Amino acid sequence: MLTATPPTHPLAPIIDRLEQGGALLPESAENVVEVVGILKSYGTVLDAYQINLTYIAEHQFLVLFPFFKYFNGEVTLSKLLKHWWHDRINYEFSEYCMKAMFWHGAHALDAYLDSEEYRQRATAAIQAKLKSNPFMGGLNRLFPEFLLEQVRVLCYYSALGQFWNVMSRMFLILSDRYDRGEIKTIADVVDHIRNGLVEAAADPITYKVVIQGQAYEIIPQSAGLTFLMDTAVPYVEAVFFRSFPFFGTVSYNAQAHQISEEQADFNYGALFADPLPIGGAGIPPTLLMQDMLHFIPPYLDEIYLKGLRGRDDMRVKICLSFQKSMFCVTTAAIQGLAPFPLTTTDPEQRQQNRAYLENWMDRFVTSRLLSVQ
Amino acid sequence: MLSILVWAPILGAILIGCLPQTLVAQRGRQISLIIASLLLAYSLYLASQFDLMNPGLQFSESLPWIDSLGLTYQLGVDGLSLPLVVINSLLTWLAILSSDPRINRPRLYYVLLLVLGSAVAGAFLSQNLLLFFLFYEVELIPLYLIIAIWGGARRGYAATKFLIYTAVSGVLILSAFFGLSLLSGFSSFDYGVLQSHTLPLTTQLILLSTLLVGFGIKIPIVPLHTWLPDAHVEAPTPASVLLAGVLLKLGTYGLLRFGLGLFPEAWKACSSVLAAIAVLSVLYGSFAAIAQTDMKKIVAYSSVGHMGYILLAAAAGTSLSLLGAIAQMISHGLISALLFLGVGVVYAKTGTRDINVLRGLLSPERGLPVIGSLMIVGAMASAGIPGMMGFIAEFIVYRSSFEVFPIQTLLCMIGTGLTAVYFLIMINRVFFGRLPDHLANLPPVRWMDRIPAVIVTMLIIFFGIQPSWMMRWSEKTAVMIATERLGRELTPLVAVEPDRVAMDLPLSQPPVALKAPFVPAASLPASLPVLRLNDLKNDVQSD
Amino acid sequence: MNQLLYQTSWWVPVYGLAGAVLTLPWSIGLVRRTGPRPAAYINILMTVLALIHTGFVLWAVWDHPPERLLIPWLSLPGFDLWLTFVTSRTSVGAAFVITALSLLAQVFALGYLEKDWALARFYALMGFFEGAMTGIALSDSLFLSYALLEMLTLSTYLLVGFWYAQPLVVSAARDAFLTKRVGDLLLLMGVVTLSTIAGSLDFTHLDLWAATVQLSPTVAGFLGIALLAGPTGKCAQFPLNLWLDEAMEGPNPASILRNSVVVACGAYVLIRLEPILALSPLALNVLMILGGMTAIGASLVAIAQIDIKRALSHSTSAYLGLVFLAVGTQQEEIALMLLLTHGIAKALLFMSVGSVILTTSTQDLTEMGGLGSRMPATITAYMVGAAASIGLLPLGCFWAMLEWAQGVWATMPWLIGILLLVNGLTGFNLVRMFGLVFGGQPKPKTRRAPEVIWLMALPMVTLTIVTLLLPLMLYQWRGLPDWSQVNPLTIGLLLGSGLVGCGAGVFFYLNPKVEKPVSLVGKSIRETLAYDFCIDRLYKISVVLGVVQGARFTAWFDRYVVDGFVNLVGVASIFSGESLKYTISGQSRNYLLTLFVGVILALMMLGWFYWSWYF
Repeated sequence: MLTATPPTHPLAPIIDRLEQGGALLPESAENVVEVVGILKSYGTVLDAYQINLTYIAEHQFLVLFPFFKYFNGEVTLSKLLKHWWHDRINYEFSEYCMKAMFWHGAHALDAYLDSEEYRQRATAAIQAKLKSNPFMGGLNRLFPEFLLEQVRVLCYYSALGQFWNVMSRMFLILSDRYDRGEIKTIADVVDHIRNGLVEAAADPITYKVVIQGQAYEIIPQSAGLTFLMDTAVPYVEAVFFRSFPFFGTVSYNAQAHQISEEQADFNYGALFADPLPIGGAGIPPTLLMQDMLHFIPPYLDEIYLKGLRGRDDMRVKICLSFQKSMFCVTTAAIQGLAPFPLTTTDPEQRQQNRAYLENWMDRFVTSRLLSVQ
Repeated sequence: MLSILVWAPILGAILIGCLPQTLVAQRGRQISLIIASLLLAYSLYLASQFDLMNPGLQFSESLPWIDSLGLTYQLGVDGLSLPLVVINSLLTWLAILSSDPRINRPRLYYVLLLVLGSAVAGAFLSQNLLLFFLFYEVELIPLYLIIAIWGGARRGYAATKFLIYTAVSGVLILSAFFGLSLLSGFSSFDYGVLQSHTLPLTTQLILLSTLLVGFGIKIPIVPLHTWLPDAHVEAPTPASVLLAGVLLKLGTYGLLRFGLGLFPEAWKACSSVLAAIAVLSVLYGSFAAIAQTDMKKIVAYSSVGHMGYILLAAAAGTSLSLLGAIAQMISHGLISALLFLGVGVVYAKTGTRDINVLRGLLSPERGLPVIGSLMIVGAMASAGIPGMMGFIAEFIVYRSSFEVFPIQTLLCMIGTGLTAVYFLIMINRVFFGRLPDHLANLPPVRWMDRIPAVIVTMLIIFFGIQPSWMMRWSEKTAVMIATERLGRELTPLVAVEPDRVAMDLPLSQPPVALKAPFVPAASLPASLPVLRLNDLKNDVQSD
Repeated sequence: MNQLLYQTSWWVPVYGLAGAVLTLPWSIGLVRRTGPRPAAYINILMTVLALIHTGFVLWAVWDHPPERLLIPWLSLPGFDLWLTFVTSRTSVGAAFVITALSLLAQVFALGYLEKDWALARFYALMGFFEGAMTGIALSDSLFLSYALLEMLTLSTYLLVGFWYAQPLVVSAARDAFLTKRVGDLLLLMGVVTLSTIAGSLDFTHLDLWAATVQLSPTVAGFLGIALLAGPTGKCAQFPLNLWLDEAMEGPNPASILRNSVVVACGAYVLIRLEPILALSPLALNVLMILGGMTAIGASLVAIAQIDIKRALSHSTSAYLGLVFLAVGTQQEEIALMLLLTHGIAKALLFMSVGSVILTTSTQDLTEMGGLGSRMPATITAYMVGAAASIGLLPLGCFWAMLEWAQGVWATMPWLIGILLLVNGLTGFNLVRMFGLVFGGQPKPKTRRAPEVIWLMALPMVTLTIVTLLLPLMLYQWRGLPDWSQVNPLTIGLLLGSGLVGCGAGVFFYLNPKVEKPVSLVGKSIRETLAYDFCIDRLYKISVVLGVVQGARFTAWFDRYVVDGFVNLVGVASIFSGESLKYTISGQSRNYLLTLFVGVILALMMLGWFYWSWYF
């Protein structure tokens, strides 16, 4: 190439590959099948998740006992029995991701939720909701931050729902295009996702709730929150990188100091998690793998069944594929956020890109990236 | 017809031996499984016909054989041997069930397993000393061959060691039998006849010591035990199951039947030595187990320890303690079978038994979670956790031996604590923790791998909750041995009506050992109202 | 009707156990397509049934004398074992409290563990836990109680080991099991001894027996100490106390039960054994010394903890120390009352702490702050739980402590010093925790902290209300101390100690002017306390060392002396040791076998000839 920078970084080969238009995940036919297949299943699950998140944000606004929050407004006996039999999507996992974003904080959204404007808008909605509930009204006066914090959570419900709405459609279309033969390589997958992200980048993120026929805008369009920077990027940060330490693998014992004091140092996210313990106690991603298990396309199911343990370890295999697919999504994000096109030939731009990529790679050193190579 | 238990497997073995090799390769397992199932069903049928009230021999059979030698074909079963016969049928069936379907040289293998089952049953049933000896010797040839052919890397060493030890054991037992027959002046090896000998105590002691060493090798007691860990480590799983489950019981059975049964005075005279040996075995076995790193060795040394309890109870020689000894035989038989079955699966799937290499096998997707859970049950049963049969058997052993040997019993109880230590070490290392990458690609576990262990687990829990089902067979026999042979009186500590227990009756005679001043409570003042389940029926009826 | 209720009282433990068994299809992985929640619902349902049943029995026995229920279990020659249950106000009441707390903890767990796929196993263990505990409450047989205590040990092991892939959990589960097992083993020795010398293991009979028996001081002393050891392990008293600290690695809903009713089960058995302990002044003294040491030591250690769960768990040990002292001064009533009031308050505190942990994803007190205004249910629960734990406001423990103090006032007034110290130190500790968690400004990890979901909040609020109402209930049941008999000095001292403790806590931890972290004592003292007086080192140089060295020596001896000797001198030497050590060829093996069969045949022939010659 034009400039031969010495490969000082431990992940230098991957940087090279990215600069040549490649992805974090190596190009191979098996990888394409796995990634597309799993993204189809993931898209289906995400769609269910986003519908529910949006439903909760809009229709379960400050419900004290949200008994039917996973029913999306449709309560029938058969649905209730299925729910009790746990024959359902594990929406708990979507809330877990939402909580990760909320707790780690999405930069601009977080700032908005601390602003005076938010406080006024949320208070108006709360007052409307509590008009007929003197007990909650009293509680609200005693603990003024209580409901404000709850509404902040609902804002994240809504934001994540909007983000996943775009993503699930994107993944399902990807699968359709694959079925039509339009997707042949990992690069195609990455392109599809990047284009999708870029296309939706400027979509506004808003949140409005209807109480007794009156609409209350809690996040107005004027807040200036957008899809890419205020949901996609924080999502990658909170869910792919940081997340929460799993009860099942990390000790919360304060004297053992296994968990970093700094949230920025957290590395328990999707790109880092160890797939082997999936299915065990205290491993929340099991829920997602279980949900995806029901929607694995037949061609991928066949491949999985050829494995040594057959149906025994489906969820571990799903997790392995899922991590591969998430590295493709991350590649798309890296490409989309890069200061210049990664394949540029301009030495100046290459230099800046190099710094940008090394920054990413630093964070990948302890991730599962090397194990998917 | 007790002979069926002895000869049906032999016939089965002949049948398998005559079948064409290809058929045996495909169907050998099923055929032998059918034979073993029939045998198991038959032994259960026998048990159902067994008269619980009769302490003596039942279903006796007798045929003259070599009169000049005093060898007659005499079979019979009583409360001491019946449970062991049933366990033998059960474990033979499980051993075949847990055998590798694609095992090398299947014809020989199944023939040997059936012959083994037949010989062990014969030994438990024999009422003639020479016949017992014959079966005792016959049993070790198939086991020797199984270890030597299908064993692990050092199978030659282990099999030879096993053979030599057991041969010595046989020679000692035979010489004691000959000695007794000659010195007593009966021209017979009939057990019933020989019981009435009137040898002086010294002679009895010499003969009993010979038997003790002979059977002590088989049990095994420390320091005659070193063949056992080697044999277990090299033996294939089904052989380990049988070895720990029934073959070791031949030693304790022999000691009770022939040592105690034939030399009661000597037995009483040296019972404190026996108790001391029991303590040594328990503590030695338990401590040695802690330092092991091979799962099979841990279980093997645990066997050494747990067989010590049987010896302790046998030494105490009260009705209750003999019953405890029998219960402990059954319970150890099943629990060690479970543990060996578990270890067998772990070894078959991972290729190692080293607790420093294994880790995280409870992992639900890629580990062996069900086998791990069953192993935890087995370990806890062995450590005497209530709800499983190990607890009640050990409790009876402790409770009854304490009356006679308080200090020795307390020392033996430490062994229970140590059992928890070594099994916990094993469970924690092997099953807890994260599954390491080198174990992440294990072959699948099928239900066939688990079923034998599941069956044993269910039995262990069932008898733990309902122990009278395991004890009732032997009650009368134990009482008879203790009262008639050892001359112990049966003095109930607890009167029949436990609600008034002993509050208005003397609680018991002051225990010999504790010599504590003891004043029985005079009566039950302001007695508490008591209900019993039976009352419920009356109430309902009267209403 | 009443008869029927008495006769079915033994069902109460069965509900929990049945629930545990019913979870098997999920916990062993038979059901894989759908999730494990039905197992949780089944267990909750069983607990509800148990609660209703216990409620009815409680109602039936309330005004009646205790009744015993005998279930024949094992009848052997000279030895009968009966599973004896007693339905008295105390026993059924205890079962009711256990079931109720178990129900609350299980509902709490639905929220706390909503993302845990091993839910079925957790609920199976909770059912097992509950069954064993209610069994202990209703048992009138030391044998049955011992058996159930052992089952508690097992389920503690499995519950602490719930997250078995986490390294600290593995060692915590092991230590919990082994520590309790040491106590259980000594208890078993006591049980066996007692069974032999007393003839019966029913508590009712044992009481009568103890009233008249005269044992030599040595026997009585050993017996008493052996019986004492079991509860010492269960109640996490010195020197068997460290497991409770480590057990905090387990899931929080299990910690709720462990710190309230599980430890209490040990004390409950101890209370039943008190008449026998009283046979030996030595045993009683040991009991008091252990209780006193733990009460003070654990209170100090609790203050030095930075882990939110551990700070509370050590205080559990301290309160159980007070219970030990009450038993040692033979005041079983007060001991029971303290168990009840402490149990409920501690369960509430642990619920509150659980919701803090789940919300902030940390257990480190130094990383918390400012949660108060956003988590109303949690902070209320904490405040009520804390107030009910100490002798300051007229809530549960105040009354228990007051009676405690009244009880010892006449006999051993110096014991009140311990009570005051524990009260003051606990007050300080609880206010310290309150200040660090709820007071002050939010820290990064507590900046975004919404109140927990209703499945956790509901049991928390319920228990808060119960805790507030507890003094009224106590008043209804047994009457609170008559004011005319109360020594004003005791009240003064009690209130004073609570005030001083809490006041100091407020001064240091709720006062924004005081720099955090507060450093009250030197580093070395703080570290000693933070690491529990280094008791683990005591274990290491005593029991652990003994077992490890014993094992090493035995293994060495076995390998080189016994086996070596056998290989060298024994029959093996005939065939040369070397050839035996390694695999021998097939040929020589066959040769050996032939030889062996030959020997047998020769022996028999010889015998036969000998025989014919002889006759």
